[in-house]
Amino acid sequence: MEARFLAAGDSAVSVQLGEDINLEVNGRVRKLFEELIKHPIKGVRELVPTYASLLVHYSPEIILFKQLKEEIIERIEKLDFDKSEQKEAIRIVKEIPICYDKDLGLDIEDCAIFENVSIEEFIRMHSSHEYYCYMLGVAPGHPYMSRFEEHFHFKRRETPRVHISGGSVVAQLGQSNLIPFDQPCGWNIVGATPVTVCDYSKEDPFLVHAGDWVKYVPVSRKEYERIKKEDRKGTYHIKTYEKKVV
Amino acid sequence: MGIIVENPGIQTTVQDEGRFGSQQYGVSPAGPMDLKSFWIANILVGNKKEEGVLEMTFQGPALRFEKDNLIAITGGNLQPMVNGEPVPMYQAVLVHAGDELSIGITNGNGSRAYLAFAGGLDIPLVMGSKSTLMRNKLGGIEGRKLEKGDRIKFLEPKTELPNMKERKLTPAVFPKRELTLRVVTGPQDDAFSEEELKKFFWYSAKITNEFDRMGCRLEREEPLHHLVDGNILTDGVSFGSIQIPPNGQPIIMMADRQTTGGYTKIGTVISVDLPKLAQSMPGYKVRFVRVGIELAQTLYLRQLQTIQNLDQRLNQR
Repeated sequence: MEARFLAAGDSAVSVQLGEDINLEVNGRVRKLFEELIKHPIKGVRELVPTYASLLVHYSPEIILFKQLKEEIIERIEKLDFDKSEQKEAIRIVKEIPICYDKDLGLDIEDCAIFENVSIEEFIRMHSSHEYYCYMLGVAPGHPYMSRFEEHFHFKRRETPRVHISGGSVVAQLGQSNLIPFDQPCGWNIVGATPVTVCDYSKEDPFLVHAGDWVKYVPVSRKEYERIKKEDRKGTYHIKTYEKKVV
Repeated sequence: MGIIVENPGIQTTVQDEGRFGSQQYGVSPAGPMDLKSFWIANILVGNKKEEGVLEMTFQGPALRFEKDNLIAITGGNLQPMVNGEPVPMYQAVLVHAGDELSIGITNGNGSRAYLAFAGGLDIPLVMGSKSTLMRNKLGGIEGRKLEKGDRIKFLEPKTELPNMKERKLTPAVFPKRELTLRVVTGPQDDAFSEEELKKFFWYSAKITNEFDRMGCRLEREEPLHHLVDGNILTDGVSFGSIQIPPNGQPIIMMADRQTTGGYTKIGTVISVDLPKLAQSMPGYKVRFVRVGIELAQTLYLRQLQTIQNLDQRLNQR
Protein backbone atom coordinates (compact mmCIF):
# COMPACT_ATOMS: atom_id res chain seq x y z
CA MET A 1 0.00 0.00 0.00
CA GLU A 2 1.56 3.23 -1.18
CA ALA A 3 0.30 6.37 0.55
CA ARG A 4 0.02 9.50 -1.59
CA PHE A 5 0.86 12.89 -0.07
CA LEU A 6 -1.09 15.60 -1.82
CA ALA A 7 -0.43 19.19 -0.81
CA ALA A 8 -3.61 21.01 0.16
CA GLY A 9 -1.90 24.39 0.30
CA ASP A 10 0.92 25.46 2.62
CA SER A 11 -0.78 24.37 5.85
CA ALA A 12 -2.49 21.06 5.08
CA VAL A 13 -1.67 17.79 3.39
CA SER A 14 -4.06 15.12 2.19
CA VAL A 15 -2.74 11.64 2.92
CA GLN A 16 -4.52 9.39 0.49
CA LEU A 17 -4.65 5.75 1.54
CA GLY A 18 -6.79 4.25 -1.18
CA GLU A 19 -9.21 5.06 -3.94
CA ASP A 20 -12.44 3.34 -3.00
CA ILE A 21 -15.20 3.46 -0.45
CA ASN A 22 -14.80 0.31 1.58
CA LEU A 23 -14.03 -0.85 5.09
CA GLU A 24 -10.47 -1.83 4.28
CA VAL A 25 -9.44 1.58 2.96
CA ASN A 26 -11.38 3.49 5.59
CA GLY A 27 -9.87 1.18 8.23
CA ARG A 28 -6.42 2.45 7.22
CA VAL A 29 -7.61 6.03 7.53
CA ARG A 30 -8.95 5.28 11.01
CA LYS A 31 -5.76 3.55 12.07
CA LEU A 32 -3.57 6.44 10.97
CA PHE A 33 -5.99 8.91 12.55
CA GLU A 34 -5.93 7.04 15.86
CA GLU A 35 -2.15 6.70 15.77
CA LEU A 36 -1.77 10.46 15.28
CA ILE A 37 -4.23 11.18 18.10
CA LYS A 38 -2.47 8.80 20.47
CA HIS A 39 1.05 9.87 19.50
CA PRO A 40 0.71 13.38 18.06
CA ILE A 41 3.28 14.89 15.72
CA LYS A 42 4.31 18.31 16.96
CA GLY A 43 2.85 21.01 14.73
CA VAL A 44 -0.18 19.03 13.59
CA ARG A 45 -3.23 21.17 14.33
CA GLU A 46 -6.13 19.07 13.30
CA LEU A 47 -7.08 15.85 11.52
CA VAL A 48 -10.03 15.32 9.19
CA PRO A 49 -10.62 11.68 8.28
CA THR A 50 -12.70 11.01 5.15
CA TYR A 51 -13.49 7.90 3.07
CA ALA A 52 -10.03 7.18 1.75
CA SER A 53 -7.80 9.96 3.01
CA LEU A 54 -6.77 11.88 6.07
CA LEU A 55 -6.43 15.65 5.80
CA VAL A 56 -3.70 16.81 8.16
CA HIS A 57 -3.85 20.52 9.01
CA TYR A 58 -0.50 21.72 10.37
CA SER A 59 1.47 24.82 11.37
CA PRO A 60 4.38 25.47 9.01
CA GLU A 61 6.06 27.52 11.74
CA ILE A 62 6.47 24.29 13.69
CA ILE A 63 6.82 21.66 10.99
CA LEU A 64 7.36 21.96 7.24
CA PHE A 65 5.80 19.82 4.54
CA LYS A 66 8.84 17.63 3.88
CA GLN A 67 9.47 16.75 7.50
CA LEU A 68 5.78 16.14 8.19
CA LYS A 69 5.61 13.81 5.22
CA GLU A 70 8.60 11.84 6.48
CA GLU A 71 7.13 11.52 9.95
CA ILE A 72 3.77 10.32 8.61
CA ILE A 73 5.51 7.79 6.35
CA GLU A 74 7.26 6.42 9.43
CA ARG A 75 3.93 6.04 11.21
CA ILE A 76 2.38 4.30 8.24
CA GLU A 77 5.29 1.87 8.09
CA LYS A 78 4.92 1.21 11.79
CA LEU A 79 1.20 0.51 11.37
CA ASP A 80 1.98 -1.95 8.56
CA PHE A 81 -1.47 -1.92 6.94
CA ASP A 82 -0.77 -4.82 4.57
CA LYS A 83 -0.05 -7.16 7.44
CA SER A 84 -2.59 -5.97 9.94
CA GLU A 85 -5.40 -5.58 7.44
CA GLN A 86 -8.38 -7.41 8.83
CA LYS A 87 -12.04 -6.79 9.36
CA GLU A 88 -12.66 -4.71 12.48
CA ALA A 89 -12.75 -7.17 15.32
CA ILE A 90 -14.78 -5.05 17.70
CA ARG A 91 -17.61 -2.80 16.61
CA ILE A 92 -19.01 0.04 18.65
CA VAL A 93 -22.73 -0.20 17.92
CA LYS A 94 -25.13 2.65 18.65
CA GLU A 95 -28.84 1.88 18.62
CA ILE A 96 -30.75 4.85 17.28
CA PRO A 97 -34.54 4.90 17.46
CA ILE A 98 -36.41 5.76 14.28
CA CYS A 99 -40.10 6.27 13.59
CA TYR A 100 -41.22 5.38 10.06
CA ASP A 101 -44.64 7.12 10.17
CA LYS A 102 -45.52 8.62 6.80
CA ASP A 103 -45.67 12.22 8.02
CA LEU A 104 -42.06 11.85 9.22
CA GLY A 105 -40.76 9.52 6.51
CA LEU A 106 -42.27 11.59 3.73
CA ASP A 107 -40.95 9.35 0.97
CA ILE A 108 -41.22 5.92 2.56
CA GLU A 109 -44.27 4.94 0.52
CA ASP A 110 -42.67 5.93 -2.79
CA CYS A 111 -39.45 4.17 -1.83
CA ALA A 112 -41.26 0.95 -0.92
CA ILE A 113 -43.14 1.07 -4.24
CA PHE A 114 -39.85 1.62 -6.06
CA GLU A 115 -38.36 -1.41 -4.31
CA ASN A 116 -41.56 -3.35 -5.00
CA VAL A 117 -41.95 -4.33 -1.33
CA SER A 118 -44.49 -3.61 1.39
CA ILE A 119 -43.76 -0.81 3.86
CA GLU A 120 -43.25 -3.44 6.58
CA GLU A 121 -40.66 -5.21 4.46
CA PHE A 122 -39.04 -1.88 3.59
CA ILE A 123 -38.70 -1.08 7.30
CA ARG A 124 -37.22 -4.52 7.93
CA MET A 125 -34.65 -4.00 5.15
CA HIS A 126 -33.73 -0.56 6.42
CA SER A 127 -33.53 -1.42 10.11
CA SER A 128 -32.15 -4.94 10.31
CA HIS A 129 -28.54 -4.19 9.31
CA GLU A 130 -25.76 -2.22 10.90
CA TYR A 131 -24.48 0.89 9.17
CA TYR A 132 -20.84 1.94 9.26
CA CYS A 133 -20.03 5.63 9.68
CA TYR A 134 -17.15 6.40 7.32
CA MET A 135 -16.85 10.07 8.15
CA LEU A 136 -18.66 13.23 9.22
CA GLY A 137 -19.07 16.27 7.03
CA VAL A 138 -21.40 18.71 5.24
CA ALA A 139 -22.87 19.88 8.56
CA PRO A 140 -21.80 19.47 12.19
CA GLY A 141 -22.41 15.87 13.23
CA HIS A 142 -23.65 14.79 9.80
CA PRO A 143 -22.56 11.15 9.30
CA TYR A 144 -21.88 9.39 6.00
CA MET A 145 -23.16 5.86 6.67
CA SER A 146 -23.51 2.67 4.65
CA ARG A 147 -24.77 -0.85 5.21
CA PHE A 148 -23.35 -3.85 3.44
CA GLU A 149 -26.38 -6.05 2.82
CA GLU A 150 -29.65 -5.68 0.91
CA HIS A 151 -28.97 -2.38 -0.83
CA PHE A 152 -31.91 -0.38 -2.04
CA HIS A 153 -32.13 0.58 -5.69
CA PHE A 154 -33.57 4.07 -5.42
CA LYS A 155 -31.27 7.09 -5.57
CA ARG A 156 -31.96 10.75 -4.94
CA ARG A 157 -35.17 12.61 -5.61
CA GLU A 158 -35.49 14.31 -8.97
CA THR A 159 -36.28 17.60 -7.27
CA PRO A 160 -34.37 18.32 -4.07
CA ARG A 161 -36.37 19.71 -1.17
CA VAL A 162 -35.49 23.25 -0.17
CA HIS A 163 -36.03 22.40 3.48
CA ILE A 164 -36.09 19.19 5.50
CA SER A 165 -36.19 18.95 9.28
CA GLY A 166 -33.31 18.10 11.55
CA GLY A 167 -33.78 14.53 12.80
CA SER A 168 -34.84 13.25 9.39
CA VAL A 169 -33.39 9.91 8.32
CA VAL A 170 -32.61 9.84 4.61
CA ALA A 171 -31.53 7.00 2.34
CA GLN A 172 -30.30 6.01 -1.11
CA LEU A 173 -28.83 2.72 -2.35
CA GLY A 174 -26.85 1.27 0.59
CA GLN A 175 -26.55 4.57 2.41
CA SER A 176 -28.68 6.08 5.15
CA ASN A 177 -27.85 9.25 7.04
CA LEU A 178 -29.10 11.22 9.99
CA ILE A 179 -29.76 14.89 9.28
CA PRO A 180 -28.64 17.01 12.28
CA PHE A 181 -30.22 20.36 11.36
CA ASP A 182 -32.88 21.76 9.04
CA GLN A 183 -31.31 21.95 5.59
CA PRO A 184 -32.04 21.59 1.88
CA CYS A 185 -31.74 17.96 0.76
CA GLY A 186 -32.13 15.88 -2.37
CA TRP A 187 -32.35 12.51 -0.66
CA ASN A 188 -35.49 10.53 0.11
CA ILE A 189 -36.72 10.76 3.70
CA VAL A 190 -37.68 7.38 5.16
CA GLY A 191 -38.22 8.31 8.81
CA ALA A 192 -37.12 10.46 11.72
CA THR A 193 -35.19 9.96 14.93
CA PRO A 194 -36.39 11.54 18.17
CA VAL A 195 -32.79 11.86 19.36
CA THR A 196 -30.81 15.08 18.84
CA VAL A 197 -28.09 14.35 16.29
CA CYS A 198 -25.92 17.33 17.25
CA ASP A 199 -26.24 19.30 20.48
CA TYR A 200 -23.55 21.95 21.02
CA SER A 201 -24.37 22.24 24.71
CA LYS A 202 -23.30 18.66 25.40
CA GLU A 203 -19.76 17.75 26.29
CA ASP A 204 -19.76 15.48 23.25
CA PRO A 205 -22.15 17.23 20.87
CA PHE A 206 -22.11 14.49 18.23
CA LEU A 207 -24.39 11.45 18.35
CA VAL A 208 -22.38 9.44 15.84
CA HIS A 209 -18.60 9.48 15.35
CA ALA A 210 -16.59 8.26 12.39
CA GLY A 211 -15.86 4.56 12.86
CA ASP A 212 -19.09 3.88 14.79
CA TRP A 213 -21.73 1.39 13.67
CA VAL A 214 -25.37 2.41 13.80
CA LYS A 215 -28.39 0.15 14.16
CA TYR A 216 -31.76 1.79 13.53
CA VAL A 217 -34.41 0.57 15.94
CA PRO A 218 -38.03 1.06 14.77
CA VAL A 219 -40.26 2.75 17.38
CA SER A 220 -43.95 3.62 17.43
CA ARG A 221 -45.15 7.21 17.27
CA LYS A 222 -45.92 7.10 20.97
CA GLU A 223 -42.39 5.92 21.77
CA TYR A 224 -40.99 8.54 19.39
CA GLU A 225 -42.79 11.34 21.24
CA ARG A 226 -41.78 9.97 24.65
CA ILE A 227 -38.11 9.63 23.67
CA LYS A 228 -38.13 13.10 22.13
CA LYS A 229 -39.37 14.60 25.41
CA GLU A 230 -36.79 12.72 27.45
CA ASP A 231 -34.04 13.60 24.99
CA ARG A 232 -34.81 17.32 25.23
CA LYS A 233 -34.74 17.04 29.02
CA GLY A 234 -31.38 15.32 28.77
CA THR A 235 -32.54 12.11 30.42
CA TYR A 236 -32.55 9.85 27.35
CA HIS A 237 -29.43 7.91 26.44
CA ILE A 238 -29.10 5.73 23.39
CA LYS A 239 -27.95 2.17 23.85
CA THR A 240 -24.28 1.73 22.97
CA TYR A 241 -22.40 -1.54 23.10
CA GLU A 242 -19.37 -3.32 21.79
CA LYS A 243 -19.80 -6.27 19.53
CA LYS A 244 -17.24 -8.83 18.41
CA VAL A 245 -17.30 -9.66 14.74
CA VAL A 246 -15.57 -12.67 13.26
CA MET B 1 -20.52 47.38 30.60
CA GLY B 2 -19.43 47.42 27.00
CA ILE B 3 -21.10 48.40 23.75
CA ILE B 4 -24.70 48.66 22.61
CA VAL B 5 -25.44 48.03 18.95
CA GLU B 6 -27.47 50.95 17.60
CA ASN B 7 -27.19 49.85 13.99
CA PRO B 8 -25.78 46.44 13.10
CA GLY B 9 -24.35 47.19 9.64
CA ILE B 10 -24.63 44.72 6.77
CA GLN B 11 -22.88 41.78 8.34
CA THR B 12 -21.07 42.20 11.62
CA THR B 13 -19.97 39.06 13.44
CA VAL B 14 -17.78 38.13 16.39
CA GLN B 15 -14.66 36.25 15.23
CA ASP B 16 -11.64 34.96 17.09
CA GLU B 17 -8.93 32.99 15.30
CA GLY B 18 -11.31 30.10 14.68
CA ARG B 19 -12.77 26.92 16.09
CA PHE B 20 -10.13 24.26 15.66
CA GLY B 21 -10.31 20.59 16.53
CA SER B 22 -13.87 19.92 15.42
CA GLN B 23 -13.45 19.76 11.66
CA GLN B 24 -13.45 15.97 11.98
CA TYR B 25 -17.08 16.30 13.12
CA GLY B 26 -18.06 18.52 10.22
CA VAL B 27 -17.77 21.81 12.11
CA SER B 28 -16.30 24.59 10.00
CA PRO B 29 -13.59 26.56 11.83
CA ALA B 30 -14.97 29.99 10.84
CA GLY B 31 -12.63 32.75 12.12
CA PRO B 32 -11.56 35.93 10.31
CA MET B 33 -11.60 36.12 6.52
CA ASP B 34 -8.47 38.33 6.65
CA LEU B 35 -6.26 36.80 9.31
CA LYS B 36 -3.49 39.39 8.98
CA SER B 37 -5.70 42.44 9.59
CA PHE B 38 -7.36 40.53 12.45
CA TRP B 39 -4.02 39.85 14.15
CA ILE B 40 -2.86 43.45 13.78
CA ALA B 41 -6.08 44.84 15.29
CA ASN B 42 -5.58 42.72 18.41
CA ILE B 43 -1.88 43.49 18.75
CA LEU B 44 -2.50 47.25 18.50
CA VAL B 45 -4.73 47.15 21.58
CA GLY B 46 -2.45 44.82 23.54
CA ASN B 47 -4.58 41.69 23.17
CA LYS B 48 -3.39 38.20 22.40
CA LYS B 49 -3.51 38.11 18.63
CA GLU B 50 -6.18 35.36 18.65
CA GLU B 51 -8.73 37.33 20.75
CA GLY B 52 -12.31 37.82 19.56
CA VAL B 53 -13.05 40.97 17.54
CA LEU B 54 -15.86 42.25 15.33
CA GLU B 55 -15.58 41.52 11.63
CA MET B 56 -17.51 44.06 9.58
CA THR B 57 -18.31 43.68 5.91
CA PHE B 58 -18.87 46.50 3.36
CA GLN B 59 -20.79 48.64 5.81
CA GLY B 60 -20.13 48.57 9.52
CA PRO B 61 -22.23 49.05 12.64
CA ALA B 62 -22.93 52.03 14.90
CA LEU B 63 -21.95 51.25 18.48
CA ARG B 64 -22.61 53.20 21.66
CA PHE B 65 -19.91 52.83 24.29
CA GLU B 66 -21.00 52.35 27.90
CA LYS B 67 -17.47 52.43 29.20
CA ASP B 68 -14.11 53.89 28.12
CA ASN B 69 -11.97 51.51 26.14
CA LEU B 70 -9.11 51.44 23.67
CA ILE B 71 -9.96 50.16 20.22
CA ALA B 72 -8.18 49.57 16.92
CA ILE B 73 -9.74 49.20 13.48
CA THR B 74 -7.81 47.47 10.69
CA GLY B 75 -8.47 45.91 7.29
CA GLY B 76 -10.68 47.49 4.65
CA ASN B 77 -11.32 51.20 4.97
CA LEU B 78 -14.93 51.46 6.12
CA GLN B 79 -14.46 55.13 7.06
CA PRO B 80 -14.98 54.93 10.83
CA MET B 81 -16.11 57.92 12.86
CA VAL B 82 -16.45 58.75 16.53
CA ASN B 83 -19.29 61.18 17.28
CA GLY B 84 -19.31 62.16 13.62
CA GLU B 85 -15.56 62.88 13.40
CA PRO B 86 -13.27 60.63 11.31
CA VAL B 87 -11.11 58.39 13.46
CA PRO B 88 -7.81 56.91 12.24
CA MET B 89 -7.51 53.24 11.38
CA TYR B 90 -4.51 51.06 12.27
CA GLN B 91 -4.11 52.94 15.52
CA ALA B 92 -5.04 52.40 19.16
CA VAL B 93 -7.70 55.00 19.91
CA LEU B 94 -9.48 55.74 23.18
CA VAL B 95 -13.27 55.85 22.91
CA HIS B 96 -15.16 57.25 25.88
CA ALA B 97 -18.33 56.16 27.60
CA GLY B 98 -21.27 57.77 25.80
CA ASP B 99 -19.40 58.06 22.48
CA GLU B 100 -20.86 56.66 19.30
CA LEU B 101 -18.46 54.74 17.08
CA SER B 102 -19.99 54.45 13.65
CA ILE B 103 -18.32 52.42 10.98
CA GLY B 104 -19.31 53.61 7.53
CA ILE B 105 -19.20 52.12 4.09
CA THR B 106 -16.08 50.98 2.24
CA ASN B 107 -14.26 53.70 0.32
CA GLY B 108 -13.08 51.08 -2.17
CA ASN B 109 -9.92 50.09 -0.32
CA GLY B 110 -10.89 46.64 0.98
CA SER B 111 -14.24 45.33 2.09
CA ARG B 112 -13.78 43.82 5.55
CA ALA B 113 -12.66 45.65 8.65
CA TYR B 114 -11.70 44.34 12.08
CA LEU B 115 -12.56 46.13 15.29
CA ALA B 116 -10.60 45.01 18.34
CA PHE B 117 -11.30 46.10 21.92
CA ALA B 118 -8.55 46.18 24.54
CA GLY B 119 -9.03 43.33 26.97
CA GLY B 120 -11.36 41.47 24.62
CA LEU B 121 -15.09 40.82 24.48
CA ASP B 122 -17.21 38.77 26.86
CA ILE B 123 -18.51 36.10 24.49
CA PRO B 124 -19.08 32.53 25.66
CA LEU B 125 -16.83 29.87 24.17
CA VAL B 126 -18.57 27.21 22.11
CA MET B 127 -16.30 24.24 21.45
CA GLY B 128 -13.39 26.41 22.53
CA SER B 129 -14.05 29.43 20.32
CA LYS B 130 -15.93 32.73 20.16
CA SER B 131 -16.18 32.64 16.37
CA THR B 132 -19.60 32.97 14.77
CA LEU B 133 -20.61 30.33 12.24
CA MET B 134 -23.90 31.72 10.97
CA ARG B 135 -24.71 28.75 8.73
CA ASN B 136 -24.88 26.47 11.77
CA LYS B 137 -26.08 29.10 14.28
CA LEU B 138 -22.95 28.52 16.30
CA GLY B 139 -20.76 30.75 18.49
CA GLY B 140 -20.61 34.55 18.72
CA ILE B 141 -23.90 36.11 19.71
CA GLU B 142 -26.49 33.33 19.41
CA GLY B 143 -24.71 32.11 16.29
CA ARG B 144 -25.84 35.11 14.23
CA LYS B 145 -24.71 38.47 12.96
CA LEU B 146 -25.17 41.50 15.22
CA GLU B 147 -28.64 42.98 15.56
CA LYS B 148 -29.87 46.31 16.82
CA GLY B 149 -30.05 46.32 20.61
CA ASP B 150 -27.36 43.68 21.15
CA ARG B 151 -25.11 44.40 24.08
CA ILE B 152 -21.59 43.04 24.34
CA LYS B 153 -19.61 43.37 27.54
CA PHE B 154 -15.92 44.20 27.67
CA LEU B 155 -13.77 41.75 29.57
CA GLU B 156 -10.97 44.03 30.83
CA PRO B 157 -11.30 47.47 29.23
CA LYS B 158 -8.20 49.68 29.29
CA THR B 159 -7.71 53.41 28.91
CA GLU B 160 -3.96 53.21 28.54
CA LEU B 161 -1.30 50.85 27.31
CA PRO B 162 2.48 51.02 27.21
CA ASN B 163 4.05 52.45 24.02
CA MET B 164 0.90 54.38 23.09
CA LYS B 165 2.79 56.48 20.55
CA GLU B 166 3.97 53.42 18.71
CA ARG B 167 0.55 51.85 18.43
CA LYS B 168 0.07 53.36 15.05
CA LEU B 169 0.77 51.74 11.69
CA THR B 170 0.41 52.68 8.06
CA PRO B 171 -2.98 51.43 6.85
CA ALA B 172 -2.90 48.55 4.38
CA VAL B 173 -3.56 49.15 0.71
CA PHE B 174 -5.58 46.39 -0.91
CA PRO B 175 -5.80 45.48 -4.58
CA LYS B 176 -8.39 47.28 -6.68
CA ARG B 177 -10.17 45.71 -9.62
CA GLU B 178 -7.39 43.18 -10.24
CA LEU B 179 -5.43 40.84 -8.06
CA THR B 180 -2.96 38.01 -8.36
CA LEU B 181 -3.29 34.97 -6.15
CA ARG B 182 -0.45 32.51 -5.78
CA VAL B 183 -1.48 28.88 -5.78
CA VAL B 184 0.04 25.57 -4.71
CA THR B 185 -1.42 22.97 -7.08
CA GLY B 186 -3.24 19.91 -5.77
CA PRO B 187 -4.64 17.79 -4.23
CA GLN B 188 -6.49 16.96 -7.49
CA ASP B 189 -4.49 18.81 -10.15
CA ASP B 190 -4.20 15.40 -11.84
CA ALA B 191 -7.91 15.60 -12.66
CA PHE B 192 -6.92 18.06 -15.41
CA SER B 193 -4.75 17.76 -18.50
CA GLU B 194 -1.54 19.80 -18.66
CA GLU B 195 -3.28 21.93 -21.25
CA GLU B 196 -6.20 22.75 -18.94
CA LEU B 197 -3.85 23.44 -16.05
CA LYS B 198 -2.02 25.95 -18.23
CA LYS B 199 -5.33 27.58 -19.10
CA PHE B 200 -6.20 27.87 -15.44
CA PHE B 201 -3.09 29.94 -14.86
CA TRP B 202 -3.11 31.74 -18.17
CA TYR B 203 -6.62 33.19 -18.24
CA SER B 204 -8.07 35.35 -15.50
CA ALA B 205 -11.42 34.83 -13.79
CA LYS B 206 -13.93 37.30 -12.42
CA ILE B 207 -15.25 37.38 -8.86
CA THR B 208 -19.04 36.97 -8.99
CA ASN B 209 -21.65 38.31 -6.60
CA GLU B 210 -21.62 34.95 -4.85
CA PHE B 211 -18.83 35.84 -2.50
CA ASP B 212 -19.47 35.35 1.18
CA ARG B 213 -17.73 33.98 4.26
CA MET B 214 -18.20 30.47 2.96
CA GLY B 215 -16.70 30.81 -0.47
CA CYS B 216 -15.89 32.96 -3.46
CA ARG B 217 -17.35 31.89 -6.77
CA LEU B 218 -15.43 32.91 -9.85
CA GLU B 219 -16.46 33.05 -13.45
CA ARG B 220 -14.13 32.16 -16.29
CA GLU B 221 -14.98 33.00 -19.84
CA GLU B 222 -14.29 29.42 -20.78
CA PRO B 223 -15.02 26.85 -18.07
CA LEU B 224 -12.27 24.41 -17.19
CA HIS B 225 -12.61 20.87 -18.45
CA HIS B 226 -11.85 17.81 -16.37
CA LEU B 227 -10.24 14.67 -17.72
CA VAL B 228 -13.19 12.67 -16.38
CA ASP B 229 -15.58 14.81 -14.35
CA GLY B 230 -15.53 17.18 -11.42
CA ASN B 231 -16.44 14.64 -8.78
CA ILE B 232 -14.11 12.87 -6.38
CA LEU B 233 -14.43 10.73 -3.30
CA THR B 234 -15.35 13.32 -0.69
CA ASP B 235 -12.21 14.49 1.11
CA GLY B 236 -11.04 17.32 3.37
CA VAL B 237 -11.09 20.99 2.40
CA SER B 238 -8.72 23.74 3.56
CA PHE B 239 -8.90 27.56 3.65
CA GLY B 240 -8.17 28.66 0.10
CA SER B 241 -8.99 25.34 -1.60
CA ILE B 242 -9.98 26.03 -5.21
CA GLN B 243 -12.77 23.66 -6.09
CA ILE B 244 -13.61 23.03 -9.70
CA PRO B 245 -17.09 21.47 -9.76
CA PRO B 246 -18.44 19.74 -12.88
CA ASN B 247 -19.48 23.10 -14.40
CA GLY B 248 -15.80 24.11 -14.59
CA GLN B 249 -16.20 27.37 -12.67
CA PRO B 250 -13.86 27.80 -9.67
CA ILE B 251 -15.02 28.25 -6.08
CA ILE B 252 -12.43 29.33 -3.51
CA MET B 253 -13.27 28.02 -0.05
CA MET B 254 -13.10 30.69 2.65
CA ALA B 255 -13.41 30.91 6.46
CA ASP B 256 -16.87 29.30 6.81
CA ARG B 257 -16.07 26.57 4.27
CA GLN B 258 -17.45 23.09 4.58
CA THR B 259 -14.89 20.79 6.16
CA THR B 260 -15.14 18.23 3.35
CA GLY B 261 -16.21 18.32 -0.27
CA GLY B 262 -16.82 16.09 -3.26
CA TYR B 263 -15.45 18.32 -6.03
CA THR B 264 -11.96 18.31 -7.55
CA LYS B 265 -9.59 20.86 -6.05
CA ILE B 266 -7.11 22.11 -8.60
CA GLY B 267 -5.03 23.99 -6.04
CA THR B 268 -4.99 26.07 -2.88
CA VAL B 269 -4.44 29.82 -2.57
CA ILE B 270 -1.36 30.33 -0.39
CA SER B 271 -1.93 31.63 3.14
CA VAL B 272 -0.30 35.03 2.67
CA ASP B 273 -2.52 35.82 -0.33
CA LEU B 274 -5.83 34.96 1.34
CA PRO B 275 -6.20 38.41 3.00
CA LYS B 276 -5.99 40.04 -0.45
CA LEU B 277 -8.84 37.86 -1.65
CA ALA B 278 -10.85 38.45 1.53
CA GLN B 279 -10.61 42.21 0.90
CA SER B 280 -11.69 41.97 -2.74
CA MET B 281 -15.11 42.61 -4.19
CA PRO B 282 -17.39 41.18 -6.85
CA GLY B 283 -16.28 42.21 -10.32
CA TYR B 284 -12.56 42.07 -9.54
CA LYS B 285 -10.37 40.10 -11.91
CA VAL B 286 -8.28 37.31 -10.44
CA ARG B 287 -5.15 35.83 -11.94
CA PHE B 288 -3.59 32.70 -10.54
CA VAL B 289 0.15 32.12 -10.40
CA ARG B 290 1.66 28.75 -9.64
CA VAL B 291 4.22 28.53 -6.81
CA GLY B 292 5.89 25.69 -4.98
CA ILE B 293 4.98 24.72 -1.45
CA GLU B 294 8.46 25.68 -0.15
CA LEU B 295 8.02 29.27 -1.33
CA ALA B 296 4.48 29.40 0.05
CA GLN B 297 5.73 28.26 3.45
CA THR B 298 8.69 30.63 3.43
CA LEU B 299 6.38 33.56 2.69
CA TYR B 300 4.02 32.46 5.45
CA LEU B 301 6.85 32.20 8.00
CA ARG B 302 8.11 35.63 6.99
CA GLN B 303 4.65 37.15 7.47
CA LEU B 304 4.26 35.47 10.82
CA GLN B 305 7.66 36.77 11.88
CA THR B 306 6.63 40.33 11.01
CA ILE B 307 3.48 39.91 13.07
CA GLN B 308 5.40 38.44 16.00
CA ASN B 309 7.95 41.24 15.82
CA LEU B 310 5.17 43.80 16.01
CA ASP B 311 3.66 42.01 18.99
CA GLN B 312 7.07 41.86 20.64
CA ARG B 313 7.76 45.53 20.02
CA LEU B 314 4.40 46.79 21.30
CA ASN B 315 3.47 44.25 23.91
CA GLN B 316 6.82 42.80 25.02
CA ARG B 317 5.69 39.29 24.19
